[in-house]
Amino acid sequence: MTPNVYTATSTTLKWLLGTAWLLPLAGFVIEIFGGYWGGRKTKTAAWIAVGCIATSFVLSLSALLVWRGATAEIREKQATALAEHDAAHGHGHGGEHGHGEHAHAASDHAHGAADHSHAHTNHVHTDHADFNPLRTTFTGEFYRLARFGSVVVSMDYYIDGLTVLMFTMVTLIATCIHVFATGYMAEELTEHYEDHQVHLSGGRHFHRPGRFYRFFAFLSLFCFAMLGLVLAGNVFQVFIFWELVGVCSFFLIGFYVERKSASTAANKAFIMNRVGDFGFLIGLMVVLTYFGTFQFANTSPDEIGSPGLFQMVRDTHGHMVTEGDGREKVVLLQSGGNTPLHSQDGKQRVIPYWLLIVAGLGVFAGCVGKSAQFPLQTWLPDAMEGPTPVSALVHSATMVAAGVYLVGRFYPMFTPEVLLTIAYVGAITAFIGATIAIVVTDIKRVLAYSTISQLGYMMLALGVGGWMAGLFHLITHAFFKSLMFLCSGSVIYGCHHEQDMTKMGGLRKKMPITAYTMLIGVFAIAGYGLPGLPINFSGFYSKDAIIASALTYVSLNPQHFLLFYIPVVTAGITAFYMFRMWFMTFAGTPRDHHVDEHAHESPLPMVAPLCLLAFLAWFCAFRGEDGGLAHQILSSEPTHVRDGLEHGGILGLSLPSHHQIHEKHATAGWVALFAAGLGSLISYLFYCRRTLDAGTIGRQFWVIRDFLIEKWRFDELYDVMFTRPVHVIGAWCQGFDKRVLDGLIHLASHLTLQTAKFDRAVDERLVDRIVNICGEVTYATGRSLKGIQTGRLRQYVMFIALGVVSLFVLVFAFLPRS
Amino acid sequence: MSDAALLTLTIFTPTIFAVLLMAFDKKAEEGMRVFTLIGTVVTFLLSLMMWQRFNMEEAGYQMQVVCNWIPTWNIEYRLGVDGISLPLVLLTGLVTMLAAVASWSIKEKIRGYLILFLMLETGMMGVFLSLDFFLFYVFWEVMLLPMYFLIGVWGGPRREYAAMKFFLYTLVGSVLMLIAILMFYFNSSQILDGKGIFSLIKLAEIAKSGQFNQNMQLIAFILLFIGFAIKVPCFPFHTWLPDAHVEAPTPISMILAGVLLKMGGYGIIRIAMPLCPWAAQYAAWFLVVLGVFSIIYGAFAAMAQTDFKRLVAYSSVSHMGYVLVGLAVWKINEAGQTVNPDLWLMGMQGAMYQMLGHGISSAGMFFMVGVIYDRVHHRDLNKFGGLMQKMPLYSGIAVGIFFAGLGLPGLCGFIGEVFVVLSIWQFSKTLAVIAAAGVILTAGYILWTIQRVFFGPEYKGPHGEDLSEMNGRESGVAVTLLVLAIIFGVLPSIMLDVMNPSTVALTKSLSEGYSNSAGSQPAAVSTPQVSLTK
Repeated sequence: MTPNVYTATSTTLKWLLGTAWLLPLAGFVIEIFGGYWGGRKTKTAAWIAVGCIATSFVLSLSALLVWRGATAEIREKQATALAEHDAAHGHGHGGEHGHGEHAHAASDHAHGAADHSHAHTNHVHTDHADFNPLRTTFTGEFYRLARFGSVVVSMDYYIDGLTVLMFTMVTLIATCIHVFATGYMAEELTEHYEDHQVHLSGGRHFHRPGRFYRFFAFLSLFCFAMLGLVLAGNVFQVFIFWELVGVCSFFLIGFYVERKSASTAANKAFIMNRVGDFGFLIGLMVVLTYFGTFQFANTSPDEIGSPGLFQMVRDTHGHMVTEGDGREKVVLLQSGGNTPLHSQDGKQRVIPYWLLIVAGLGVFAGCVGKSAQFPLQTWLPDAMEGPTPVSALVHSATMVAAGVYLVGRFYPMFTPEVLLTIAYVGAITAFIGATIAIVVTDIKRVLAYSTISQLGYMMLALGVGGWMAGLFHLITHAFFKSLMFLCSGSVIYGCHHEQDMTKMGGLRKKMPITAYTMLIGVFAIAGYGLPGLPINFSGFYSKDAIIASALTYVSLNPQHFLLFYIPVVTAGITAFYMFRMWFMTFAGTPRDHHVDEHAHESPLPMVAPLCLLAFLAWFCAFRGEDGGLAHQILSSEPTHVRDGLEHGGILGLSLPSHHQIHEKHATAGWVALFAAGLGSLISYLFYCRRTLDAGTIGRQFWVIRDFLIEKWRFDELYDVMFTRPVHVIGAWCQGFDKRVLDGLIHLASHLTLQTAKFDRAVDERLVDRIVNICGEVTYATGRSLKGIQTGRLRQYVMFIALGVVSLFVLVFAFLPRS
Repeated sequence: MSDAALLTLTIFTPTIFAVLLMAFDKKAEEGMRVFTLIGTVVTFLLSLMMWQRFNMEEAGYQMQVVCNWIPTWNIEYRLGVDGISLPLVLLTGLVTMLAAVASWSIKEKIRGYLILFLMLETGMMGVFLSLDFFLFYVFWEVMLLPMYFLIGVWGGPRREYAAMKFFLYTLVGSVLMLIAILMFYFNSSQILDGKGIFSLIKLAEIAKSGQFNQNMQLIAFILLFIGFAIKVPCFPFHTWLPDAHVEAPTPISMILAGVLLKMGGYGIIRIAMPLCPWAAQYAAWFLVVLGVFSIIYGAFAAMAQTDFKRLVAYSSVSHMGYVLVGLAVWKINEAGQTVNPDLWLMGMQGAMYQMLGHGISSAGMFFMVGVIYDRVHHRDLNKFGGLMQKMPLYSGIAVGIFFAGLGLPGLCGFIGEVFVVLSIWQFSKTLAVIAAAGVILTAGYILWTIQRVFFGPEYKGPHGEDLSEMNGRESGVAVTLLVLAIIFGVLPSIMLDVMNPSTVALTKSLSEGYSNSAGSQPAAVSTPQVSLTK
């Protein structure tokens, strides 16, 4: 790409996506002010919001097309080169050991010979350099926030295939959900909304004016924050929008501010996220201290020589160049063009390897918070206190996926050790979420736990080296999960805010569209499909890719076998509880006649998005990994992922290459399908045929059931471990101030007062007394001399004479004689 | 208008207005209020004019005014402004103006109140603009006295106690500062052959050349630091603050939190550090530890409060901790050269930005508390609730301002806080982690407060019938503060660009001052092992 074309495309994309990003913000401002001063009964706010987000979608789609057009040539070249490479190297490699050369490529860096600087110049794998996602990436600056010497912090953009894809996905789903919400939130179009869940002191229900406009305003603000997060060109900017989506989520979860449960859930969500952000901050500190920049990469032709993080930490072949071993191990930073990066005084710039791990874990901690991963997963189910469209958009499809997105985006910075942590955290989360979902009876909470579990899947995929698989699942999940949430919203709307599945049943007759679109979602999340067939449910392909990556990883690192078994078991459980939910809600006969009587299908603005999303949930992954979606994602895959890694890092972990994954694909597909089928079958027997009675089994295993119903007791644990100690320490600090510090001050003032009193006493009793005594003595003397004063002249003359005589005697007696 | 007139007028306009207030009829309360407001507006406009004339490329003092005042002792009337003081001058003008608007809620002894209020502004402006140590001291004291009366006469039920506590604490600080002033005077007199000086510029030059010996620097630094730390305030000198805030009337709380606390930070960066560079570096560890401890301690203590104003006061202790940390993250290697100067610069600018951001957010928080106190006459956090229903506009703006205090990105509190925190890692990894943990606690106590006050179905305390929406005057102040919080959060460069040259020059001269005092070879700022240059 010539510099001119680059600049032109970059500017176009910047404007397209920049506008798409800022439109919802403009919408927010208009809605919040217009709504405050406007009437409560108009839907204007909704239409403004829908207009903004739909325009954003159109702009994003155009950006996608512009990007594809501008990079078509490069991508084609890279594809050809890769195909040739595959033809040359791919055949004849049997199993994992066939990749000796790849291993060599990785290991000679891992062992870090001193000749690192020229290791690549005539390397066997120079053809790999033909694939580099940075060539199809456009970067630049919106404006500068601050400059500290050579450290520049600014608002940047980073546009590659993944960015435009995420933009399109987010805006498309958001548009559907906005439209859905115009129907769902219609009850708020009133001056007197009665909230049946809030009881006032007088036993009355709570009344308030409707908040239709406020809902859409915050929804728009959320879209702005989310799109900003995706567009961000540096990790600091990601952090900014990270927190902003957090606060939007806070407002949306706490939309019903008068409900105690809602405001508590909102607080919990925000604080849990902040715990993750605490880790994120530590990651940022390390990055800044050693790299001196936050930028992901700098691909602009006029700024060669100021590399971003990805370019510093890996060379153009995607290898980390390291030196030393153990704690002494360091990563040599690159200048973006396979040459080492030097500081001003000519020294090679390095970052200690363990600090790179800290940075990776730190940023991942942020992702743990945002994506509700173990151990910070507890906020997400509570977040269901928000209105259902919010759950669909914020807490399933987009915001919570931001953690996965960031792991994918920041992937080049992660070492194999960090990836292993990610994989385990993902696996544990997937399992915990799925097990709890089995016992939950609230329709939204089932979906919430399923979201946790699926996010765990994505993390797992990224952790085991299946970069594409993880992000693939992110996209497909976004479609089918938002679909299912909207379906549940439609059910809740149709059943007049009844969310308990034990009171539903047989609803498919009353609300057929909802029931069958939901069924598509259930099939998609269970991962049904026939390997080999081009048209399968989207979830089939992505889950297949994840299981294949996990299987390959485990075959390379047999000690981590759990990373394969957990997701397979979880796949079975997923199918079980999703079908359980569908059967309980839609199949069989009504359990509660009151609910059933009033149930009705939702109006058009609500079912139309369902149909569109159902279509996408089914077909978006058309042709699987050979299809357009997968290729679009692959175009952004970090360079080093394709070849995997053999015995890298400190722990000697191997990561699978594309070839290896491909070989395991068929096996993995059948295993996953078998697990899903088994799960669905059991579910069918339990909840549709009712051959087995769930209640009996539950009673038999009541220990496990209660443990699951208590959500693994995380809430109690955190309460004891953190919440209460914080309050206790707070009280201590308060007490220390009052008793010790103020005590000292009061003591000092008391002492001063006492001293003053003592001083007064001394003054009064001693000093004054002496003075008084002197006075008294003088007085007494004078008084006693009074007797002499007789007034007789003769006597006075005699005194004078005596005085003179005695004076003379004294003078003569004492004066020195000369 | 000449520069001399501009700076002098900025300081003394409030005094002139205060004198003219005498001419008002005792009953013309409304007139006096408006007249005072005009006075503060004029002062603010003058400070804006200063900004407009300010050359942002230049590092040194600009618009200097020098006159002999007491020639016998070389005391000068020396004023000037640089990138460090200008933002604070602007902040003073702004917060005082908004506090003047908020002063409508004062109903008793108006004239006395307004005169003292204006005198206070003169003192504050003088502190930020004077470049002569003696003059600085005079203004420092000028500001102290009106504050004492404002709290002691117009305050709440325990006002005498609070005013006395405030006065004694600050007086101790001033006395220590006075000793330090004399130390510098006599030391400089030795160095300059019997001609002692008070000029801060010249004293800083002497310090930079390393002529103050280490012991002298250390003692002077300790004296100055305690004096300024009381004002900041940092642990363990902070207990006057909650009492003073709780008892002070709303506008005075705004000024106290918005401007007065900044004098501590300003004193450290303008006087303590440049005059004792060696000691500042020597004590850097202690300062950072103290700052980090204040952050955490203040946050914990805030968590335990049930009085709304006390909570905000403790949040100030926590937030001002960042200022101390940011200023002091100065690390040197064995050779005495500054390591990672860019990150120290980041910390320092972060600290200064934190002062601005806190000036806006804390003034806003105190104002919001004042608004609700004027209506229901209590501040018990457990007896609020449901304000979002009764006063939607008020609640919306208040939540915004509290989020600014929480350090939400896009609002003013974030920038300073995050830059300071990011700069700590190179100084000490452990302290960095502890400081970063502060963000969780801050979120905890602020969100919990928001939940207790604004959320929930109904108001639980007394005087519920008086909960009326803010009037125009109140919304004006609140909206201004929120808008500024957003502007400062989104476009930090408008102030960071003003600060940049001066802080760069300051860090350089401090580094030089350190190496010169330490007796090593004079060295410029060295490049660190891992340089940050691209």
